[in-house]
Amino acid sequence: MPFCQKLPGRYIQTNFVWFISFFILSIFPALVFSRDTPQPPTQVQAFDTPSDAGKSITVQWGKSSDDGEGLNNVVLYEVLRSTSPEGEYTKVGDSPRGTTEYVDNSAKDKIPYYYKIRALSKTSFSDSPPGAAVVSSPQWFKKERLNALIVVLVLSLGIIYFIQKASKGKEMFVRKIAAIEAVDEAVGRATEMGKKVYFIPGIYDMDSMQTVAAVTILGHVAKRVAEYEAKLEVPNCYALVMVACRETVKQAYLNAGRPDSYSDDMIYYITQDQFGYTAAVSGLFVREKPAAIFLQGHFFAESLVLAETGNSVGAIQIAGTAQPTQLPFFVAACDYTLIGEELFAASAYLSKNPKLLGSLKGQDLGKLLMMIAIILGSILESLGILHLAKWFTYQ
Amino acid sequence: MKELKPEDIKIIVATDCGSTTTKAILIEKHGDEYRLIVRGEAPTTVEAPFEDVTMGVLNAIAEVEELSGRKLLDEKGQIIKPAQNGVGTDIYISTSSAGGGLQMMVAGVVRSMTAESAERAALGAGAIVMDVIAANDKRLPHQQIERIRHLRPDMILLSGGVDGGTLTHVVEIAELISAADPRPRLGTGYKLPIIYAGNKDARETIKKTLGDKTSLDIVDNIRPVLERENLHPAREKIHDLFMEHVMAQAPGYRKLMSLTDAPIMPTPGAVGLIIKTIADLEKMEVIGVDIGGATTDIFSVFQGVFNRTVSANLGMSYSISNVFAESGLPNVMRWVPFKMDERDLRNRVKNKMIRPTTIPQMMEELIFEQAIAKEALRLAFIQHKSFATTLKGVQQQRTIAEAFEQSASGQTIVNMMTCNMLIGSGGVLSHAPRRNQAALMLIDAFLPEGITRLAVDSIFMMPQLGVLSTVHPQAAKEVFDKDCLIHLGTCIAPVGVEKEGKEILKYKFILPDGKTEAGVLKYGEMKMIPLAVGETAQAHLEPERGMDLGHGKNKNIETTINGGVAGIILDGRGRSNFLPADENVRVKKLKEWMLALDIYPKWALER
Repeated sequence: MPFCQKLPGRYIQTNFVWFISFFILSIFPALVFSRDTPQPPTQVQAFDTPSDAGKSITVQWGKSSDDGEGLNNVVLYEVLRSTSPEGEYTKVGDSPRGTTEYVDNSAKDKIPYYYKIRALSKTSFSDSPPGAAVVSSPQWFKKERLNALIVVLVLSLGIIYFIQKASKGKEMFVRKIAAIEAVDEAVGRATEMGKKVYFIPGIYDMDSMQTVAAVTILGHVAKRVAEYEAKLEVPNCYALVMVACRETVKQAYLNAGRPDSYSDDMIYYITQDQFGYTAAVSGLFVREKPAAIFLQGHFFAESLVLAETGNSVGAIQIAGTAQPTQLPFFVAACDYTLIGEELFAASAYLSKNPKLLGSLKGQDLGKLLMMIAIILGSILESLGILHLAKWFTYQ
Repeated sequence: MKELKPEDIKIIVATDCGSTTTKAILIEKHGDEYRLIVRGEAPTTVEAPFEDVTMGVLNAIAEVEELSGRKLLDEKGQIIKPAQNGVGTDIYISTSSAGGGLQMMVAGVVRSMTAESAERAALGAGAIVMDVIAANDKRLPHQQIERIRHLRPDMILLSGGVDGGTLTHVVEIAELISAADPRPRLGTGYKLPIIYAGNKDARETIKKTLGDKTSLDIVDNIRPVLERENLHPAREKIHDLFMEHVMAQAPGYRKLMSLTDAPIMPTPGAVGLIIKTIADLEKMEVIGVDIGGATTDIFSVFQGVFNRTVSANLGMSYSISNVFAESGLPNVMRWVPFKMDERDLRNRVKNKMIRPTTIPQMMEELIFEQAIAKEALRLAFIQHKSFATTLKGVQQQRTIAEAFEQSASGQTIVNMMTCNMLIGSGGVLSHAPRRNQAALMLIDAFLPEGITRLAVDSIFMMPQLGVLSTVHPQAAKEVFDKDCLIHLGTCIAPVGVEKEGKEILKYKFILPDGKTEAGVLKYGEMKMIPLAVGETAQAHLEPERGMDLGHGKNKNIETTINGGVAGIILDGRGRSNFLPADENVRVKKLKEWMLALDIYPKWALER
């Protein structure tokens, strides 16, 4: 009789009890008489995780025969650990069915551990026999990063080789940097025209590498200015930069044999405010009409304002920055621009110091090798040969 | 000097008073054209015991008289002027480099700017620049004073500062000169001529500083702004002062000046003038070279700008050791197609230096001498290229496209691809036993690119024609075209890099007799196609991929090619490092090229 039919209440109650009873009786044999306990995992092996900093043990095991086959009732593996084979095993982690490895990162070094793996079904479990004792310890080398070590070694050896070569007096070819070659021309123009040379060392403090590079270039410019007996001015927006510039220029004048021409007033502080500084320097450009302007260092939005103002007064402008966003403005508005790392390479180029020259050459070698690797890798990858790309990948 | 109308000039006598020889030429108008009739020469008589330059001049003219049969001198030994009834000449003109020519010192504020402009003005006027004083020449004031005193130039050209520019630097240099109180080389009783061509605001101060001690002349600023040079006023003044002061002090020159119908010019200045005149008239870009015993002069006209350099230490006799030292034995020997003993070579070089008039007696000596000439020319040309540049100190206007190619100012204006003609003169070129040898020397030393005509001035009459061009440019040009130059031919050199033996040029020449000469030029190969002097051929040239003949890579060219003694020379050696590094391969290639161009007899190369 269908349940949806409207029947007297007592009749329905009787049928419901009968139905429940029938259901329980029908599943009881399966609950009572079937084997639900999964087969235990086999061959438990634990070992110190290789190439690590210690405190880690890797445990591997063979899958339970009921994992993926047999009763196929394994739902999870639990990793149990104890400090003695017969001791109390505590759970340190679990691993999904189908897996055969777990890395225990909660181990302490120099303590022997025993591991068991427990295979769990929904209702039961079974433990493997414990594996052999294992102790974790840190390793000196991480083999997976051997590629990085090789690259570092090659680069370092390259740099050392070139430094040695430069130190022995071997002529190191450094591509001419037009902007640096033009320093003489810019200072010469100022000399012939009887006008000032302005050097703007960016709007960052001495903690910026670009400012440091700019101050190095200032040394070279100042020496030339001293030799040509021209006039130099360096407006600053940081007190510390001002002090560094003063020391550098003073030394440059001394090296040029004209310490008498140096005056602290040539290098002065304006303001730390970005646009206050920009407005003041632009005003100086317009009033003084310098013949040469150097814009070197860390620049932001003021770059175009300064470069355009300098251009409009007819100065030869030599800019240099590692700020990619400002480079287009400098290239378009200035006569010469040190692009990106040319700013840093300039110091090696100017000083001809063997160490700087050698490291510059060594870095160039590294870049060349990287370029070759990228091109070769791209070709091999396209051909389905993945060894090179894998070698460079962090395992 | 009387005024002369060019149409009235039919007979011209011109002399060039060199240090050792005075050369005279006679030019006559036959029909509508001016032609060289004869050339005569006599020893220069500026030194003791004669000490009268006109004696040598009259001797040279007397030789011309004998050779031409035209009476030019009267019974008193004077030049008959004007020409009448088949005797005498309409004009007499002269150049001079006797007694060391015009020796100048120049000064400016910045070495590469106003000082370089001053040097350019002086060299262009035909002077030998003894030294360049500049505020940044890294010499201390006392060293500069000592140098000025020591050199004793004929005159000083002082420049510096743009108009409205620096005063202090210019005045400082003037003070240095004043402190040095230099004496002129000739005429000890005279004040040293100084030309001031600098900042106009400094004129008064310069007058105060130098006016009393020296013979000061003030002309327009040589560099009124850094963007422009104004060399002409300074050059004019140099020529005037050369006449007034230098020539007037030299033995017999006052007399010579009274004989001439145009101002006497310094020889190199006259050579430069004729080259500039021809380049302007023909709208060509030209390089001229005069390789002498002690110096090598190079003249060029590119983009309408005339430049001259004097390489004082590069020459074929007095300076030959220096060529050897500067270039190095390997660089000289790379042009020699066989091995020679180094000790023997060094002895030969020194011999040539102490006996400058020696000429090669054996074939191997000739080959070796021509190898040295190639190096001397090459080194002088490097110097010239570094001097003939765009102006420095000029503001550049850039676009973002130039981000990675920021060319510096001061780039050379010498462009071998646009050079139309290479003219050589000097003993080693003009007197080479085979003209082809002169052609190969010019090609190897200058590495002409694209299509370039080659010529030599066989009897070195460019100086006389230079001074003639100031009086009668048409006559100068006609004689220059017809009698002065010996056309060697045309060099066709595609530029690019290819593998040895790869085809780089397909050529087809329609020769004057109607025959067609067609073929393929391979990389590393040289060929010669005969085309006589005065003849022309229609050429169709197809450069292969990556090769350029002047119209761009792979661009075909249809043009007319001029012939010469050597004909058409096809040079397929690319232009970079074409000499093989391996000695055996190099020798093999040299022999191959020399045989192809018939440079030396076959037996000489088969040793």
